[in-house]
Amino acid sequence: MRIVECELRIINVAVRTALYLLGSMCLIATPVPAADDPVQKAMKAYEKHRYEDAGRDLRAALPSLGRSNQPSAQLTLGMIYLRNAELHRELARMSASVNPDYLRRISAQRGAGRSRFSDLYLGLALLEGGKIEAAASTLERFLASGDDAKYKAIAKIGLGTAANLDGDQQKAQELWRGINSNDLDVKTELAAAYSRAGLRDKDPVRLCDEALRDTRKSGKAFSLMAVKNCIGVYGQAAIPDKGFDLLSRADLKSYSYRDAIGKSKVLSFYDVQLLSNLSVFYLQASLAALEKASADQQLKGFASYYLGEAHLLAGNADQAAKATAAFLASAQMPPQYRNRAMVRQGAIQHKKGKPSEAIGVWDDLIRRQPGDPELLSDILVTCSRLRIDCPRVAQTSAAAVESGDGRRFAILNVGLGRYSLGRKDLGKAVTYLEAGRDKGNKNKIESNDPLMLVGLSEAYYRTKKFSEALEIYFEMSKQFPQVRQIQEALQGIYSMEHKSAGDVKIN
Amino acid sequence: MKRISMVLMIIAIAAVLAAPAGAAPKKDGKPDGGSLSYGEYGRPATLDPITSNEMISLRITELIFNGLVGINEKQELVPELAEKWEASRDGRTYTFFLRKDVTWHPLEGEAPKPFTADDVVFTYTIMMHPKTITPLKVRYEFIDKVEKVDDATVRFTLKRPVLNALAKFSFKIIPKHGPANQQYLTRDDRFVQHPIGTGPYMFKAVTPEREIILAANDNYFKGRPHLNQFAAKPFADQNIMTQALMFNAIDMIVLVNPRDIPEIQGDKRFVLKPYNALSYSFFGYNVRNPLLADKRVRKAFTLAVNRQEMLDSFFNGQGTIISGPFAPGSWAYNLDVQPAAFDAPKAISLLQEAGFTRGADGFMEKDGKKLTLSLKVPIEKESEAVKRVVLAFKNYLKNIGADIKVEFKEWQAWKEEVFLEHDFDIIFASWVFDDSADISSLFHSGEIGPWKNNFGGYANPEVDGLINESKLTLDHEKRRTINRKLHAMLAEENPYTFLWTLTNYAAYRDKVRRVAIHPYKFFSFADEWFMEAKDQK
Repeated sequence: MRIVECELRIINVAVRTALYLLGSMCLIATPVPAADDPVQKAMKAYEKHRYEDAGRDLRAALPSLGRSNQPSAQLTLGMIYLRNAELHRELARMSASVNPDYLRRISAQRGAGRSRFSDLYLGLALLEGGKIEAAASTLERFLASGDDAKYKAIAKIGLGTAANLDGDQQKAQELWRGINSNDLDVKTELAAAYSRAGLRDKDPVRLCDEALRDTRKSGKAFSLMAVKNCIGVYGQAAIPDKGFDLLSRADLKSYSYRDAIGKSKVLSFYDVQLLSNLSVFYLQASLAALEKASADQQLKGFASYYLGEAHLLAGNADQAAKATAAFLASAQMPPQYRNRAMVRQGAIQHKKGKPSEAIGVWDDLIRRQPGDPELLSDILVTCSRLRIDCPRVAQTSAAAVESGDGRRFAILNVGLGRYSLGRKDLGKAVTYLEAGRDKGNKNKIESNDPLMLVGLSEAYYRTKKFSEALEIYFEMSKQFPQVRQIQEALQGIYSMEHKSAGDVKIN
Repeated sequence: MKRISMVLMIIAIAAVLAAPAGAAPKKDGKPDGGSLSYGEYGRPATLDPITSNEMISLRITELIFNGLVGINEKQELVPELAEKWEASRDGRTYTFFLRKDVTWHPLEGEAPKPFTADDVVFTYTIMMHPKTITPLKVRYEFIDKVEKVDDATVRFTLKRPVLNALAKFSFKIIPKHGPANQQYLTRDDRFVQHPIGTGPYMFKAVTPEREIILAANDNYFKGRPHLNQFAAKPFADQNIMTQALMFNAIDMIVLVNPRDIPEIQGDKRFVLKPYNALSYSFFGYNVRNPLLADKRVRKAFTLAVNRQEMLDSFFNGQGTIISGPFAPGSWAYNLDVQPAAFDAPKAISLLQEAGFTRGADGFMEKDGKKLTLSLKVPIEKESEAVKRVVLAFKNYLKNIGADIKVEFKEWQAWKEEVFLEHDFDIIFASWVFDDSADISSLFHSGEIGPWKNNFGGYANPEVDGLINESKLTLDHEKRRTINRKLHAMLAEENPYTFLWTLTNYAAYRDKVRRVAIHPYKFFSFADEWFMEAKDQK
């Protein structure tokens, strides 16, 4: 067996962990030279946060890998998908915040320049944001105007979902029952609604399969609406292969509907749900890949580390606890990553309704390693995710960044920034996140954790620094074109909000 | 007040009342004192807000002058020289009620003169005079007339309602007693070098080293600014400017050379502050030259340059390649238009299509005329990175058979040759926009002429039509659609080879506190900046 020298460039804890594991994998089995090793190449892309490239290239290489390399490839894929799921969850949150703000404004317009579709897409965006009542009334308003059967059906399906989320399954079923699903987009919309409601007897996978098959037969490209719906269905059903095949044929920056009003006004509407569906899809794909990897005895411990994280992201505290405990008990446990797993254990305790035990775990960790920026940052981010106040950790961290070396403490600035953002302390969020950003490569995902960039973009948006937020997505769109829906909404709000005289100067 | 239909939009009267009148300190508990010296990329041509069309002047005038309204850090319109205002329901009349406690910076040996409605009427009138040299006229063509109602009230009547009208009244007011010529303002007037304003800082002197010194205005109507003095130090070389910061010769750099960011980053003596000026660099073409009038030639030039390679090599990749006339952070940027890929063979075939053939010396020629063009670059741009960009451009174009003669010019001479005499073929420069993304002065044919921004003489009726339409609409989304069309069209027409937006960071010593930066005007909030007493030496 040949030992391959693995490059270990350290960027942040998650990547460091990944690279540690990569190093371990290199020692386990590497029959091909590193430069050509698809797993190594994928890890390098992962290190640069190019999750889409990393996943696509490694998937394509899977058939060419020998059996002995399959477990490490699956582990790598599981890690890539996990980070992508986490990122898309944050993107979905951002989109569900920005898009309703934008759509509300154009929906409020009156007169000939108004698009009634602003109501439909506002209703769907509100639904995505969990604002059921407002969503239902907005969709009703859309239904009361115009007569295009396809979009009325979409609105009715949305109303059904609203009723279902509101606990009125009967009303939901009635609304869905009356839908004519001859239109293929409508069929996928219905499939997505069934899938979201957990109605497996309606066989949403079959509905999507049929709709996509018929679209292919007709020679047409998949609409973004169909992609959005079926990726959600395949995600819920944990059928990653179908989902990846669909994604490979999709233009994720595409709009869902374009309304031309007169000669000089065109409105593009986007499916806000696309991003959350992608998050669910990637999370399920991650779990599936990690489970495969964990079947390998040599990788079981490593896979458990990520399985714990994936289960926690999926909201399954028991399984997260089990996997994390397995990792901590594993002989393969890299000692330096014990902290992260312990912080996660605290989070699991909190999820299980034992907040004091969670705080106890974290306090104990801090006592043993006071001033460790990575540990403090990890706890702060966890507090932010759990939406809880952790004042002592925040105070300790603030003092640490004030006195600590700038570069080493960059990660703690990010932690403080994300924590401040969670507490809606926007001024501090901007200050800390800007301090934690790599200034030499301001918005490049290769040098900055995209999760941090999404957080910073939200802080910028809330403080009306629209152009700063747009620049972040301009860079991010090169790897994640699906952020177009956020870009368009931000542009729309910016165009209405800016207060400038129209000046330009030579420089 | 006349009994016309009015909608009261009285904003922040409480804030105005809370502000001290006359020579009062700020009541924020922060100490006064200390001076701040900042590095600039050259000496501004003028120091008044009307004749200037460059960023260096803009930053200075932001310290010296005020508008009727201003914008606070939360991007809200706030009262400045006007303490309140009313807008008519039809959006065609704006009445401003002026502060009565504002005085002009005093001339030596004279008592300060009060600011009145006469100054507002005077500013608008002189700005719009046909002989006044200013790029501002196009921005204010929507105003029909301005009237003094009384000493503290002034009324603007618009030709039509416009989007964001109130923000447009942020133009700086100059004193009636300022310019020697009361009819129109040119760069010969003493006032443009010896400005008198109402702002937090007063023009004091220009040193033999060409530093511009501004002193705190004790009578500033928002309260005396904390810092005693601002000094703008010109640097011809960006590398020297960074070294000056590192060795304490200056306290601030308004725009850090992207290559120097890693050097400053992590040094705890300095703060690196991002601000998003909407700007981009370009090579601009003079379409009066018949060789450049053919859009195939301009497009060939765009295809011939490897922009990503230049950005990576000369700016460490710290920027973004753009595809058209808006910055990527702008709301108007058309995300569907991708930058044209580097393609030298296609560039050559476009030149051939345009009638060029290779001559014996390897350069293209048409009708016996060699494809030789001048490229004029201001000497302030003569930083190492810019030199490399310009030389790379020359080489890229040589590869497709164009002979580029590079000439570095002193800033003022460059401006005269480009904006007044139009004696150039190609220029290298950058535009900086406020966030209204208004490109009308750059590409509308009505903006061709001496000291106007359409220096290249670009004229396209379709572009003119779209610009006109965007100015007339009151629908934000319609204006957005129009701008997207303009973007696509100009990306295809190539009046410029649009290059990139660079990362914008200001760097300053950490002794300067509470630094907020306006992304375009920069010093808008500088009256709040301060230094602790121990740091003031």
